Amino acid sequence: MSQPRTIRASLFTTCIVDQLYPEVGVSVVRVLRRAGVEVDYPEGQTCCGQPLYNSGFTGEARKLAERTLNLLDDRAFVVVPSGSCGAMMRVFYLDLFADDPELQARARDLSQRVYEFTEFLVDVVGYEPATGDQPERGCRVAYHPSCHLLREMEVTGAPQRLLDAAPGIERVDLPDAEQCCGFGGTFAIKYPHISEEMLADKVAAATGSGADTLTACDMGCLMHIGGAVSRQKLPLRVRHIAQLLDGESG
Amino acid sequence: MAEVVTRDFVSATQAAVKDTQLRQALRRAGTGFDGTRREAIHEVTPEVWEEWREQARRIKEHTIGHLDYYLEMLERNVTAAGGRVHFAADAGQANAIVAQIARDNGVRTVTKSKSMVSEELGLNHVLEAQGIDVFETDLGEYIIQLANETPSHLVAPALHKTRRQVAQLFADQLGVPYSEDIEEMARIARVVLRQKFLDADMGISGANFLVAETGSLVIITNEGNGRLCTSAPRVHVGLAGMEKVIPSLQDLAVFLRLLPRSATGQRITSYMSMVTGPRRPDDEDGPEEFHLVIVDNGRSRLLADPALRESLYCIRCGACLNVCPVYQRVGGHAYGWVYPGPIGSIVTPGLVGLGQAKDLPNASTLCGACRDACPVQINIPRMLLHLRHVAAEGQGSYQGTGSDTESLFARGFAAVMSSPRLLNLGRKMGRWLLAPLANRGVLGQTRLPVVSRWTRARDLPIPPPRSFAEIWRDELSNSGSDSKRA
Amino acid sequence: MGIPSAQFRETIRAALGRQSGPPAEPYDVLAEEFPALEARAEAVRERAARETPELLDRMAETAALRGWNVQRCDGAEEALDYVTSLARSLGATSVARSEQEVFETVPVDAAVAGAGGLCWPAVYDGPSSRTEVRQRLAESDMGITGADYAIAETGSVVVLPRRGLSRLVSVVPPVHLAIVRPSDLLGTLDDLFALRRLEHVRNGGDMGSYLNFITGPSRTADIEQTIVVGVHGPREVHMVLLDKE
Ligand code: SF4
Repeated sequence: MSQPRTIRASLFTTCIVDQLYPEVGVSVVRVLRRAGVEVDYPEGQTCCGQPLYNSGFTGEARKLAERTLNLLDDRAFVVVPSGSCGAMMRVFYLDLFADDPELQARARDLSQRVYEFTEFLVDVVGYEPATGDQPERGCRVAYHPSCHLLREMEVTGAPQRLLDAAPGIERVDLPDAEQCCGFGGTFAIKYPHISEEMLADKVAAATGSGADTLTACDMGCLMHIGGAVSRQKLPLRVRHIAQLLDGESG
Repeated sequence: MAEVVTRDFVSATQAAVKDTQLRQALRRAGTGFDGTRREAIHEVTPEVWEEWREQARRIKEHTIGHLDYYLEMLERNVTAAGGRVHFAADAGQANAIVAQIARDNGVRTVTKSKSMVSEELGLNHVLEAQGIDVFETDLGEYIIQLANETPSHLVAPALHKTRRQVAQLFADQLGVPYSEDIEEMARIARVVLRQKFLDADMGISGANFLVAETGSLVIITNEGNGRLCTSAPRVHVGLAGMEKVIPSLQDLAVFLRLLPRSATGQRITSYMSMVTGPRRPDDEDGPEEFHLVIVDNGRSRLLADPALRESLYCIRCGACLNVCPVYQRVGGHAYGWVYPGPIGSIVTPGLVGLGQAKDLPNASTLCGACRDACPVQINIPRMLLHLRHVAAEGQGSYQGTGSDTESLFARGFAAVMSSPRLLNLGRKMGRWLLAPLANRGVLGQTRLPVVSRWTRARDLPIPPPRSFAEIWRDELSNSGSDSKRA
Repeated sequence: MGIPSAQFRETIRAALGRQSGPPAEPYDVLAEEFPALEARAEAVRERAARETPELLDRMAETAALRGWNVQRCDGAEEALDYVTSLARSLGATSVARSEQEVFETVPVDAAVAGAGGLCWPAVYDGPSSRTEVRQRLAESDMGITGADYAIAETGSVVVLPRRGLSRLVSVVPPVHLAIVRPSDLLGTLDDLFALRRLEHVRNGGDMGSYLNFITGPSRTADIEQTIVVGVHGPREVHMVLLDKE
């Protein structure tokens, strides 16, 4: 698809990628650039406030959310490689600032400019991974639709489309794909015994799917699933979708 | 009121997740109900389904928003039809009202069709204490009554019991020969209860809906026990939470379409009984007296909180339980009171106080499956977030339940995240502390507080030497095109 | 014991933060005036009459899906044959029925007698007590009723109060047979409720003591989600669908 002019996007990496998985952020930048997007990175960004908001600490969450709004106020597009942080910015900021018309207006403005990474590539850029891009070595990939991406951001097809188009990637069905993996932020450590049951089912579904790679658009879920895969030394790679599209994640 | 044991949530769920029989039962019911629910939606098409949901939601929104008005209309019309309406502010009052009706009529035997409100009130024990024999007649309710348990699901109360357990229970309690044949067990219940229906002086039912304009009580069942309970005895007492009212008979249509499909995937249940007052002078059967007991018991607190009000739109279909990944692992009893699952996690704190049920709003991943399944589009995750907020920051009537450690942690987190410099320092400290403990580049099982709750089953990555922000500054910021990683 | 309704409503108003009185915006459905309601009900009836052949087909299909044994009959004679053969195959000795006009055109008493059984109207006639009739009903092999309405959308038979034990005849015996005439048929739940609302207004606000839907056999899935029919109500339900009056 030809673009009449360059699309500029500001990357909000999310704190987990920034601090624990910087390589995912690097892949995000590389894929965006390959898709012809001019990427910038608003300096000073940290956390969108989602973990605090989800734990009920609305007051503290507002501080971080306001900080994030300040950073992103006049950016054309904000791209977030995460469904849950994306949902925070698109959906929950509106609730968070419900009692402050000025901030809520800014949040509403942001909610129209913020995109999850794959959603942005498909809906805004119209990107189709093509042969000639660095191909992933032949791999069979199962995609786990993370809950907030699916049900809050309502991104239902973009990741699958990109995977299906990417050379070298064969997508296999993940049984009960839409079942939550059991991460849920602090849920994972508040109720580990329940979280681990959900996790076990997700891991079993992935290993039973015939895939050699499990992917998703959220590093939170993937840290949780990948943590179990690593603990059990299972023959399954766990990768953020940007890493697969980047094609260098062997 | 029924005993509240939600404080034991953690220990109860720890036991529940290890109960393989329970897990099997939950899986069978959950996937069964939810599978047929999805088929039913597919059959009418998702577009039509969405229209129905919106219509139902509008009706509920309007009615609950003018509840006083419609209750008055309901009372007027029930009274005009020869019935009596009683209003109970709490469980004690509701139980006393029913007990008094029973005394006034010299009642010795009561048959009941399924009523969640009666479970909430703990009514059976009150009547039994007064020497009345009370028989649950819904098969599932009958089973748990024999077992002296509480329901574990909104529409399938004995979902947690296997056929073997029921067979043993029947053999022990009814003195019948042990049989695992489900048909035979149902037959036994039919025979035992058939006589009770004919003997009973009073029938007690719940209400799925109350129609204000006609003064009618609507119950839907599959077994036919509702018909028998409301037709055979001399006195019929209907119990209903105050939120059950809908304005018009015309409004009933959409709910009759939504409720069975959402509950079990059935297109309609076998029976729908609409009862309006006692039998008329020229009717030859039906009760001589009809009483309707409308119960508040904490609902006005939910009503008063705009963030929680929509919990009163619930039609108790159980769809949210069937799709909930947490309910599906822990079952209904772990929720510690009468209403389990996602909606229970709102209603229970609302009705018994958040202080008694502070785990419930937290015991969710906020995955949102419940909201998508709900036939009245109740936004359960949003209400859970609201309850977490009141617990954490203590406002309104549910306050004072947050933990100090957590709020300290939250403040610390916010402080670190407010400063990129502190954040980077934190990562470096984390790396310095954890790297020596690492194995194959990750942190395995450890005794470190909090962290150990993660590493029980999952490895944890060791923070890397450079953050993304640093890599960006060093390598990515100036390259307009593809660049290699260091 | 309990609190006065005014006080109960006051609590609700306080919770809602609203003044007493009707909704500011009148509720559409309730605001419908009598002539409009009458016109709508008339339209429902006309449509049902016009679409009778389609409704019969739809009814037959939906009812079968919901668990009825549907027998379409060309007229009373075929219907009576069906009743006789059903009574015979059940070995029915005692068959209870309600008191309804339909039995004037479809005289089931004779049909049951043809199979060697006795068909009796479940009414209190003078000396026989309530308990006796109920006991007799409990021991009968089959109950036969007409239908006040039949809803093609859901495959339901709708029963209103009648002389006799009209509530119990369809639910107490182990087999229920309903006779549905073309004029009983309606398309949808909305159609039914439009007609009943009109009756409600016409009767000065009285709905009658009950309105029952019957859709298939009594069933339960309360033990291991295994469906068992005939738990408290009938295990077998038959619908005789008359193609003409
Ligand atoms: S909250 Fe919704 S899905 Fe859950 S029981 Fe109530 S109506 Fe059904």
